[in-house]
Parts: sequence; C-alpha cells; structure tokens
Amino acid sequence: MSDAAVVRRVLSGDVEAYAVLVARYRDRLGRYAFHQLGNREDAEEAVQEAFVRAYRALDRCHSPERFGAWLFQILVNRCRTIGGRRGRRERFAVADEDALNDARVEHPADRLALGDAIRWALDQLPYEQREAFLLKHVEDLSYEQMAEITGAGISALKMRVKRACDSLRQLLAEVESV
Amino acid sequence: MSEQQDELIQRVVEELRRPVALDSSLDERVMARIRNEPVRLPEPRRWLLRPFTLRLSPLGALAAAAGFAALVAATTLAVVRSGWLAGVPGSAGATPGVAAVPFVLYAPDAHSVSVVGDFNDWDAAATPLKPAGPSGTWVVTVPLAPGRYRYAFVIDGTRWVPDPGAPLAPADDFGTPNSVLTVGS
Repeated sequence: MSDAAVVRRVLSGDVEAYAVLVARYRDRLGRYAFHQLGNREDAEEAVQEAFVRAYRALDRCHSPERFGAWLFQILVNRCRTIGGRRGRRERFAVADEDALNDARVEHPADRLALGDAIRWALDQLPYEQREAFLLKHVEDLSYEQMAEITGAGISALKMRVKRACDSLRQLLAEVESV
Repeated sequence: MSEQQDELIQRVVEELRRPVALDSSLDERVMARIRNEPVRLPEPRRWLLRPFTLRLSPLGALAAAAGFAALVAATTLAVVRSGWLAGVPGSAGATPGVAAVPFVLYAPDAHSVSVVGDFNDWDAAATPLKPAGPSGTWVVTVPLAPGRYRYAFVIDGTRWVPDPGAPLAPADDFGTPNSVLTVGS
C-alpha cells in the first residue's frame, strides 16, 4: 500500500493504519537521528516525537505521496531542537572545571574500531556540517531536497558538505597516524 | 582531492549507512501515544466567515519601490480581468470585502514560482506567479477575503521560501518557515 493510501486511511479514522508508516520509516529515521545526535536515547526521543507530531499534523501533509520526505523534514527539526538542548547541557558542563576533567573524550586510537573512529570524527563536526554531510552522503538527497528540508541555500549547503568532508579526512588521518 | 581521500569518504559513508537498531518497543510507544488522539481532519474553508480587523500587505520591503508598485497594479488588473487565477475561490471586485492582494518575489534564477498558503490548500500548482518583465521579478494577485493567512513561495516546484518582505509565521516544526499576512476590510 502506498504512503498516500495509508495517509488517506488514517485521515478517514483508521488510526491503526499509522503503524504501517511507523514500521516503514523507523529504521531510516533512526539511523539519521542516531548519527546526528550521537546517542541512542536522544535518537529514539527524536524519532518518537517526529512520528507523533507528524500524526498530529497529518491534515497538513498536502502531498501524501511525499509523506516520507515530509516526515523526514519534521525529524530534522526535532533533531535540531534536541541537539540544541544537548549542546546547552554540554556547555554548562564544560563551564565546571571538575566536569571538564570528567568529560574528556576517549581518543579513538585507543579503541581501534573503524566505526568508532568514524562516529568520533563525525561528532567533532559543527552541527550544521554534520547535518549537511548526513543528508547528502548517507541519505543520498539532492541539494534541492536538502534546501527544502533545511531552509538553507544550495551554495551554503555545498560549502557545509565540503567542509565536513575536509574535516573528516583530517580527523581520520590524525587517528591513523597515532 | 586524491583517489585515496575519496575512498576514505566512501568508507565513512558505508559505515554510516549500516542499520542502527532502535528499541523494539518504539513502534508500540508511538502507537500508544496516538491511539487516544482522534486524527484531525483537514480544516474546512471557514475563513470566508471570519471577522476582520486589520489590513496588511505581504509585499513588505519589496513593494516599497513606488515604480514597482505601479507595475504590480497593472499586472494585477490584467490577471483579475482574465480570470487566470486557479484554485482560489471568489473574485476580487465581485465580492464585497474581498481584497486583491499582490504577491511578489524577486527570483532571477527561477524557472517557475508559485504561491502556496491557507487560501489555496497549499497546492503548488494552483496559483503560479508570472514574470513581470525581464527583471527577475514574479507576480500574481490573489483575491482574498478578510482573514489571517500563512503562505510561502515555491521556486521551481521544489524549494519553499518565505516572503522576504513579510513577517514569518511562528515556527511549528512542520516545514520550512512560512510568512503571514492579515487581510481586513
């Protein structure tokens, strides 16, 4: 059943049909949220909130055949909200010297696993660069789709992706040289 | 960029595309939260009956140029007379209290521009703008009954942008920012 058909069923009162959309999109949303936010707890919160908010606003999904893109847009916004909240928590922690000592990140060279090194490097990127890199290279979106989702201009998005790639190369090269 | 560097980014992408396992109860938690919430049906067009209190133009800063305003007025007249508008109920001038509201966007690189909003069910095909000469300015006039409307422009059918000359609607997480205008008597 197409997304549009499921949306119409839900709007006609079949709430349980929404489970089809949840099952269809949970993995893709979860992957993006996990890499963007850096931990499973925040990622699950973002995904759950995105699904609930999409349901509450389903009457405003004006192109049900593009439900997936619309839902993803909501998730990106939720991640920004949660990411901003987490960032504030981290800044507060860093303001405390004891907390600063406790907050040192383990260097990935101590762990050897490529996946850990990549996630460590990804987490070093500024939020907007990480967002642009994930949308472009992991989610495989066009710059036009990214502009629609993020509200940023295409030139700015290209610059963010380029800087993200440059930073990742540099960070991972440092890891390999240790 | 060397081949080695491209290969490195490719390895990063492959790693990040691996599935990420979420808690298996997530689906049920979502469904449990929405089961007690009746789905909201698309709102009927009640705005025709709303009282009006205020009159604002969405042109904002763009429309500040007096010469340009004259161009808009001329285009508006032609548009309304030709019945070119699609998807917008009513007709300016024929219905008491309905205002002819010009929408203008400067988008020199665009191939098409349309306006979407509460007044046309956010249908990107309903209300296209037309080029106002070779300057890169696009314009359309929409007959609107008194009321408050959220709207945005759609460039080339894919890119939603707010009106740079109008106030933004409050952020709501459900899309790119929209603009807001209020039409009064």
